[in-house]
Amino acid sequence: MDKEQVTLTIDGKTVTVPKGMVAVDAAKTVDIDIPVFCYHEKLGPFGCCRMCLVEVEKMPKLATACTLNVSQDMVIKTDTPKVKKGRNGVLEFTLLNHPLDCPVCDKGGECPLQDNTFEHGPDLTRMEYNRAHHDKATPLSPVITIDRERCIACQRCTRYSDIIEKDTALVMLNRGFHNEVGTFNNEPYDTRFSGNVVDICPVGALTNTQYRFKSRNWDLKNAESLCAHCACNCNIVIGTRQNRFMRVQAKSSENSVSNDFVDDGWICDKGRFGYQFLESKNRILDPRENGIGDSRAGVIETAKKVAASFKKIAEEHGPDSVGFLGSPFGTNEELYLYQKLFRLGLGTNNIDHKLYADSPGLPVDHYDMEDVESADLVLTIASDPTEELPILDLRLKKAVSSLGTKLAVLSDQQTLMDCFACHSLRYNVGSDGTVLQSLTDGLGKKGFKKNKGFETETGIESDAFKELIASLKKSTKVCVIYNPEKLTGDSVHILKSFLTALDKNSEGTCGAIPAAPATNALGAMDMGVLPDYYPGGIPVSNAAKIRELWGDSAPVTEGASASELIQKAESGELKALWIYRCNPLVDFPGGAKLEQALKKLDLLVVHDMLETETTRIAKVVLPSNGPGYDEGTTTNIGGRVQFRKRGIVTQNPADWKILGAMLKELDIESDYRDSFEVTSEIASTVPGYSEVNRKNLRKFGHQREKVSNPKVPESKGSSEKAPDKNALRLRVSNYLFAHDKILDASSSLAHHFQTSSIYIHEDDAKSLGLSSGAEVTIKSDWGEIKAEVQVNNRCNPGGALVPYISDEQGVASLLNPDGGPTWVTFKN
Amino acid sequence: MFTFSESSEKQIEKIMKKYPVKRSAILPLLALAQRQDGYITPEAMVEIGKRIDCSPAYVQSVCSFYTMFYTKPVGKYVIQFCINISCHLLGCDDLLEYTANKLNIKVGETTADNKITLLKEECLAECSAAPVMRLNDTYHTNLTREKIDQILDSLD
Ligand code: SF4
Ligand code: SF4
Ligand code: FES
Ligand code: FES
Repeated sequence: MDKEQVTLTIDGKTVTVPKGMVAVDAAKTVDIDIPVFCYHEKLGPFGCCRMCLVEVEKMPKLATACTLNVSQDMVIKTDTPKVKKGRNGVLEFTLLNHPLDCPVCDKGGECPLQDNTFEHGPDLTRMEYNRAHHDKATPLSPVITIDRERCIACQRCTRYSDIIEKDTALVMLNRGFHNEVGTFNNEPYDTRFSGNVVDICPVGALTNTQYRFKSRNWDLKNAESLCAHCACNCNIVIGTRQNRFMRVQAKSSENSVSNDFVDDGWICDKGRFGYQFLESKNRILDPRENGIGDSRAGVIETAKKVAASFKKIAEEHGPDSVGFLGSPFGTNEELYLYQKLFRLGLGTNNIDHKLYADSPGLPVDHYDMEDVESADLVLTIASDPTEELPILDLRLKKAVSSLGTKLAVLSDQQTLMDCFACHSLRYNVGSDGTVLQSLTDGLGKKGFKKNKGFETETGIESDAFKELIASLKKSTKVCVIYNPEKLTGDSVHILKSFLTALDKNSEGTCGAIPAAPATNALGAMDMGVLPDYYPGGIPVSNAAKIRELWGDSAPVTEGASASELIQKAESGELKALWIYRCNPLVDFPGGAKLEQALKKLDLLVVHDMLETETTRIAKVVLPSNGPGYDEGTTTNIGGRVQFRKRGIVTQNPADWKILGAMLKELDIESDYRDSFEVTSEIASTVPGYSEVNRKNLRKFGHQREKVSNPKVPESKGSSEKAPDKNALRLRVSNYLFAHDKILDASSSLAHHFQTSSIYIHEDDAKSLGLSSGAEVTIKSDWGEIKAEVQVNNRCNPGGALVPYISDEQGVASLLNPDGGPTWVTFKN
Repeated sequence: MFTFSESSEKQIEKIMKKYPVKRSAILPLLALAQRQDGYITPEAMVEIGKRIDCSPAYVQSVCSFYTMFYTKPVGKYVIQFCINISCHLLGCDDLLEYTANKLNIKVGETTADNKITLLKEECLAECSAAPVMRLNDTYHTNLTREKIDQILDSLD
């Protein structure tokens, strides 16, 4: 239902806006700019700075436009002598103690205080006394510097910490004249979202330490781009100067318009401060063969040569002797072209990009991130938004605390979302299949009956479970957010049956957001980087459709999955493997055996951005420019396709160009002149992407249609018992600031790095005789790693939680290579 | 480590019942902590935050807003000298300096024997009887040097 509209006059212009809108925003709709400091559209009215004074007919005094709710027939004037005098006076007060060090202030040139003073302020001051002084440049955290002299006490930053972040870590201390922004006991203000205060501070009080004194804003070239760290795909502005990276800002009302379909105008600290990799020493710049780099060899020439070698191997040993291991970090264009190269150029479906089970498509609506706010119940399953998809965390908090959304958390681990949830159910590690099956059955006619067996197996109390089912049934809009990566075995298929059941049995509407954390996880599935699906979720079994779209030579037998590719390398069946932006030696289970298998290959090609453990053993290494340099589209968790613009120009060819050349080398027509031509081809061949075009991508991106909804495979189910009574079932969780290739030791975020820990339940700690702080070796059938024990019930008894904190930690080496459960024991 | 004493705990129970919104109990809890230790430590702020579901930073921000809450140890007697406009016009600056000299400390300090702390304060809402100071829970009005001598001499 549309909100009631009101019509009023601002400076003689007639304005019709929803009732209750504040005058500042109403004026904006007719391009009348009312100056503000404390008001911010995402923080709501506050009224502490008095910058926004306006005259309102029938009101005796000037009113603050940021707290003034417009009403029918209101007459507002923003340019009368009275208003001018008011603004002038407010600014004189605001500037009373301001140091006016604009020439050495990072904000200079993009400073609302400067701009407002220039336009509305006094030329001179009547201040005859010494100005108040504070320390200059105090670190508020390792990434933010505060200059308290410049603060005008508008409280945007502290209100942000309270209203948006919800943890009130940044506050106003003291009173009146002594007011200062600070933290408890001078601790660093070091949250996952702290950097946003730099964007919203209307003066140079809060500055980005990385960017301090690096550039003036008018010297920057700004590219409206996307963050490439996680699958939220937040909108960022990359600022460069003379083709060097300078800073990242959120795309927001401060510099443009915020994309409320995605990030609501905020980004996380990884997105803001985690971009030093753009100029890392570890970047691959030249192609390399047999360990010898050659800057003259030419990336394209080398790529064409290797493509020809792959062709030769495929001809000699059959198409299934070659394979491709892709990455959920590539763009749609890159991944699309790669699968095309392998399918049409080499004739194989040996293509994959992931280790967990999942198939494209959803049996219900694919919800956009924004739907979280209009849902009345959000159910997260095995998802940990705070660590995996930070902006989703902020959106959930907003929905729960100001929009009346209820949150239900169903997980095998404690998350920071739990305290916002009205249902918080923790299942035993590995029992997700049973939980989801019971949920599916519970929604059906039979309903769910209290049952001991269920309680012992899952660790969830029947009553709480029943309540969750009841809530699901009676809600008017349910949004299910699940992380397929953290479901065990093939229970993602049960989850999809649950969605079908939910759709059938709930009173309202429902939809889902598949929330795998990798940047383009959804795009990689949509683009068919899968052994059993073509782009757009067309199963290889649908030969007719495939022939129609891809021609007669397109292979229609299922290829090898990622783990099968490794097995085949080991057995010698696979002769050549192409790895794109993926580092199996660290991310895949298998340890030393995996390395041996890869070394057995006749030809191992790695096409990547940064040097990794895997590039070191590759026969051929090709440089990939990656985010910041190459453009293309990615699809976020909400199915929203957006264009990622480049910020820096490089001599090296873009990946789509390299791929175009290789396709041509293998006699496939390809004359792409820019990445958009690949996008157009995607639009014409990939179901769901037909409306993705330059025009639709502008501004806010475009939510792709649902990709076809293939029949959900039956789950094979699983019943696993601990091999011995001292073994715990391993659950690897995510940590936002893991020390990997992207965030390396030189990163500004390195202070967030953690040491290897294992979290166990107090019951297990007791029976195993372990206590917090104990240094142990964790052993599984496949490997061992070192960790410190933390006893704090982050998971139920029987489970052991190990956050992935660094590549070096080697946690993947513990995992069961065939995807089954991993049990761990301890050695002191 | 900070813990509320047993008798404080009893009072907390009563206090918490009064407020439907937990965080509303912040001022009584701060007062309680101060009564117990003489001033409010960071540890006490953490503990109070836990009781009312607020961040310690929030507790500190409220605590630092009020000059009646001390975050450093104070003497047995605390003098809060009003320096606001009415008192100012009637010569509080001179009286404050006089007091400081007499006690041989600077404003903001505590005497070496931990007996008296001298602080500045904003308007004590007793302007009609300015200059004014507050000595622990008592107001002393219409101050003069003589009056100050008397008051200080009477302290044990
Ligand atoms: S630091 Fe900036 S945002 Fe925060 S109160 Fe001061 S001026 Fe406002
Ligand atoms: S939430 Fe994800 S996409 Fe957004 S800024 Fe953070 S890492 Fe980047
Ligand atoms: S913007 Fe209106 S009072 Fe600050
Ligand atoms: S000014 Fe001193 S009591 Fe009011």
